Amino acid sequence: MSRAYPLPTNLSSSTVTNTASLVRIVALGLISGAAIASRLFAVINFESIIHEFDPWFNYRATRVLAAKGFYEFWNWFDPTAWYPLGRVVGGTVYPGLMATSGVIYNVLHALNLPVDIRNICVLLAPGFSALTAWATYMFTTEMKDSSAGLLAAAFIGIVPGYISRSVAGSYDNEAIAIFLLMFTFYLWIKALKLGSALYGTLAAIFYFYMVAAWGGYAFITNMIPVHALVLMLMGRYSTRLYVGYCSWYAIGTLASMQVPFVGFQPVRTSEHMGALGVFGLLQLVAFAQLIRSHLSSKQFQNLLAIAVVSIGVLGALGFVFLTYKGWIAPWTGRFYSLWDTGYAKKYIPIIASVSEHQPTAWPSFFMDLQSLVFIFPAGVILCFRQLRDEHVFVIIYAVVASYFAGVMVRLMLTLTPVVCVASAIAFSTLLDTYIDPTEPEVPEEGKENADGKAKETGGSAALAAVSDIVAATTTEAAAGSSKTKTAPKPKVKGIWGLDTRFLVVVNAIGMLCFFVMHCTWVTSNAYSSPSVVLASQNPDGSQHIIDDFREAYYWLRQNTPQDAVVMSWWDYGYQIAGMADRPTLVDNNTWNNTHIATVGKAMSSPEEVAYPILRKHDVDYVLVIFGGLLGYSGDDINKFLWMVRIAQGVWPDEIQEPNYFTPQGEYRVDERASPAMRNSLMYKMSYHRFSELFGGGQAVDRVRQQNMPKQGPTLDYLDEAFTSENWIVRIYQVRDEDVLGRDLKSANAFTAGKKRKRTKPASRRRAIQQ
Amino acid sequence: MLISTLLPLLALPFAWAASSADTRQKLVDLSVAGNGVIRLSDPKTFDLLTSPNRNWSAAVHLTALDKRRRCTPCKEFDPSWNVVAKAWASVPQEHRYDHFFATLDFDEAPTVFQQLGLTSAPVVYVYPPAQGPRAASGKTAPSKYDFSSGFDAGPLAESLSRHTPVPIPYRDPFDWAGLITGVAGLLGLALLVRFVGPIFQNRWTWAAVTIITSLVMTGGYMFTRIRQSPYTGGGGNWIAAGYQNQFGQEVQVVALIYGTLSFSFLMLMLIVPYQTSPSRQRVQIYLWTGVIFLVFSVLISLFKVKNRGYPFKLLL
Repeated sequence: MSRAYPLPTNLSSSTVTNTASLVRIVALGLISGAAIASRLFAVINFESIIHEFDPWFNYRATRVLAAKGFYEFWNWFDPTAWYPLGRVVGGTVYPGLMATSGVIYNVLHALNLPVDIRNICVLLAPGFSALTAWATYMFTTEMKDSSAGLLAAAFIGIVPGYISRSVAGSYDNEAIAIFLLMFTFYLWIKALKLGSALYGTLAAIFYFYMVAAWGGYAFITNMIPVHALVLMLMGRYSTRLYVGYCSWYAIGTLASMQVPFVGFQPVRTSEHMGALGVFGLLQLVAFAQLIRSHLSSKQFQNLLAIAVVSIGVLGALGFVFLTYKGWIAPWTGRFYSLWDTGYAKKYIPIIASVSEHQPTAWPSFFMDLQSLVFIFPAGVILCFRQLRDEHVFVIIYAVVASYFAGVMVRLMLTLTPVVCVASAIAFSTLLDTYIDPTEPEVPEEGKENADGKAKETGGSAALAAVSDIVAATTTEAAAGSSKTKTAPKPKVKGIWGLDTRFLVVVNAIGMLCFFVMHCTWVTSNAYSSPSVVLASQNPDGSQHIIDDFREAYYWLRQNTPQDAVVMSWWDYGYQIAGMADRPTLVDNNTWNNTHIATVGKAMSSPEEVAYPILRKHDVDYVLVIFGGLLGYSGDDINKFLWMVRIAQGVWPDEIQEPNYFTPQGEYRVDERASPAMRNSLMYKMSYHRFSELFGGGQAVDRVRQQNMPKQGPTLDYLDEAFTSENWIVRIYQVRDEDVLGRDLKSANAFTAGKKRKRTKPASRRRAIQQ
Repeated sequence: MLISTLLPLLALPFAWAASSADTRQKLVDLSVAGNGVIRLSDPKTFDLLTSPNRNWSAAVHLTALDKRRRCTPCKEFDPSWNVVAKAWASVPQEHRYDHFFATLDFDEAPTVFQQLGLTSAPVVYVYPPAQGPRAASGKTAPSKYDFSSGFDAGPLAESLSRHTPVPIPYRDPFDWAGLITGVAGLLGLALLVRFVGPIFQNRWTWAAVTIITSLVMTGGYMFTRIRQSPYTGGGGNWIAAGYQNQFGQEVQVVALIYGTLSFSFLMLMLIVPYQTSPSRQRVQIYLWTGVIFLVFSVLISLFKVKNRGYPFKLLL
């Protein structure tokens, strides 16, 4: 064997192993550091603040947990949410996230480290991303080896698809869920490989943690059974599979039922039926294996045929019967919308309205995964080449997750880990092949042909390569099968020359560097905005912070009575509760569609219709988000159609979507806006006094790029109470009823001196006087 | 133009002259003659049907079926309308003539279109009763049917049922074609498994299926399915503007690019090391590395079109 470059020869093998394990530990440490550091852009660019919407609720709940203890948290009834209904928080929440922060908080305080609970919440996601990197390392090590594991850990540490949900301050369930997902999968693979009940039980425990932490646990609930089922269909049933699956399923299911929000769902809803069915099937297969060892093969075959058919029919009938009787609930809407993609828009607009439930266009895939998105199919092919039991898992995961990620943007999060694992397998195979210094012997025939074929064109090289694929795969298959066919000639594998190695390795390292640059750019530019605080650039390039949201919420907190009810669209419910500490009608926990539709109806109706609704719900203040001045496109007028649609779902006779478009079918807010649009409460609140701001000039809505009419809408039933610096948040106070019992419109007209009756007699009187 | 504005006025005396019962009988006759649908061939009948003292409700379908109008949606919607109207004809006598279905073609009565200010077709107006026990809360203005749920008969019947005295007894016809296709497909599949079974047991069949699925999905196929984006933008423009948008052809191009890159990597890993001649191997290594670099540059430049703020580039 010749070598392409010299290797030191005076090293003992133990030195090499020791150094390798040291390097591994150092590398993992650095990867953890990089994973944490790249998530801190949000803190450095802005401040240590909780982001977005849902995290504000989690933060508020965690504060209750830290201040009052777990028992109080568990029994917490929140009367300020969903006013006047209230919300039983303990029973309608996945408590894993809050419990985790609570434990960390208590441990740190027991160690006399007085850390503020907010900082724990802000930094929880970066901390767990380091753990995710470690779990991915373990998982990939099971698939190939530890060098692939390190690559996978580095990928998942910085890949934007995962960073998007786990920057500092993004205190959401996904922050810890991806670690739990990967670690549960690792334990499952381990249990399957070893046939170990211990690892199966550990997988069940982490599964329980996952169930307590994230609604997406259903992904594990279905991935593991599908893996087991496929293995059985491939004829790979083994006692290892039996032990691993049964210990995971039995303990995991019982444990998951302890979470109050989940309760009896694992035995009653369709999402969980797959796991139960595979569990039953495994018992049957195991029983059949037992019988087979006691019977002659002819008897057994007859018995098996009868048994399989009858049990299959019985099982299907039983399932249909249970569903028919309503003991098994059908798929929940959110889950169903994954399969029938038109379903959500038709029947549950509230799910379809959320921006993270939209389908994913290809630029998002590329933005979130960059070069990994096309390397990972190569890794999947490598899995097919070896096809051990654990490789089947990666293959199924890749197919399922890429479908899901295509249907919903937020499920990109579940695709990201498998992409990292598969591309790490591919990349490390590539580097293994081209860094390995051994050069194969030049065969005699090859040498003869070498000169003749040197001038070969690219096209024929490709053709030759394709014919080689077939040869390579058949040799693999031959080597894999136990029947030792006399393989034509064992091919030598290896690379000649130094320039070839250099070229491929430099290209690979270049791609990795590009990947790092891409990730840094995406993270700092796209995924680190808290969305509570907005950033823009001054003309000189320095950063300008737009802090309208907090300005308005603190205004509410300091200037309104403690029990003043604030109505807003549901997106802002959690923020109002968290920052302004005021009761809200609806919030991001969208459990009551009718209540949300009520708010939608109030917003999309004329003032006279909306006012009784507001009074009935004790609303004191109405809050709208308006971006027309600044060009902030996520404002309420752009969300308005969803309010209309959701209201239409409950009151189809009173609210109709087409009325809010112009006869030409355009969505306009200027002079040509439809009457329903112009009279709606939302429109009036958004554009109230907007044109005055331009001092007689042409008022322009910068989001919709439309010229606003000179005469803006007037309000009779509401008073403007507060408008933030850049007009993003506008708060209106609901007027009390008129003391004389008139409706407020005519009362206002009276005070304004525009009384209809007065005009005619006055002129007449003047005529007489003259 | 003058005539068109005067015609409804001319029709008014007729509507008042005839007593409500008479008008109703006329409409019933028309309805029976038209197989459940009143054919409004002139503005007069339209005014008769929508007279301000009607004690029936009516659903009017305004369309343009003539070939010269080239109204494809009209042709698509027409059968659904007739099926729903026919379903209504099967309700009991006492309710059947409290609600009428009518069709009005643009070429037969263009004045009605002008009168209603319509510039497009098909349109369905539902006129609630203005008098009688069902005249609810004095609402006499017609409401427009919302086509957002498509031209199918099911949603139409469901929506119209809110305005009729009893729900329209419409049921989707049983999908025999679907059933037969399904059964035939299953049989075909069974035969296929019987004869080409080994293909299904070959792992590389599954590998191909897996890889194609992932490539197509990451190319944004589901986006084009759900949003029903067009295949191209027309005029040779096949890249949709905007980061969160794409055309059907982009799926193919992007999936092809991803596939080429994946394939090049696989060649480097699986095929090149097994070459028997050093020079041939060297050519292949240079070739595939070049392909990776070039195609990746193309991909980046494509991405820069979609996301203009992207700061990096390779060759292009």
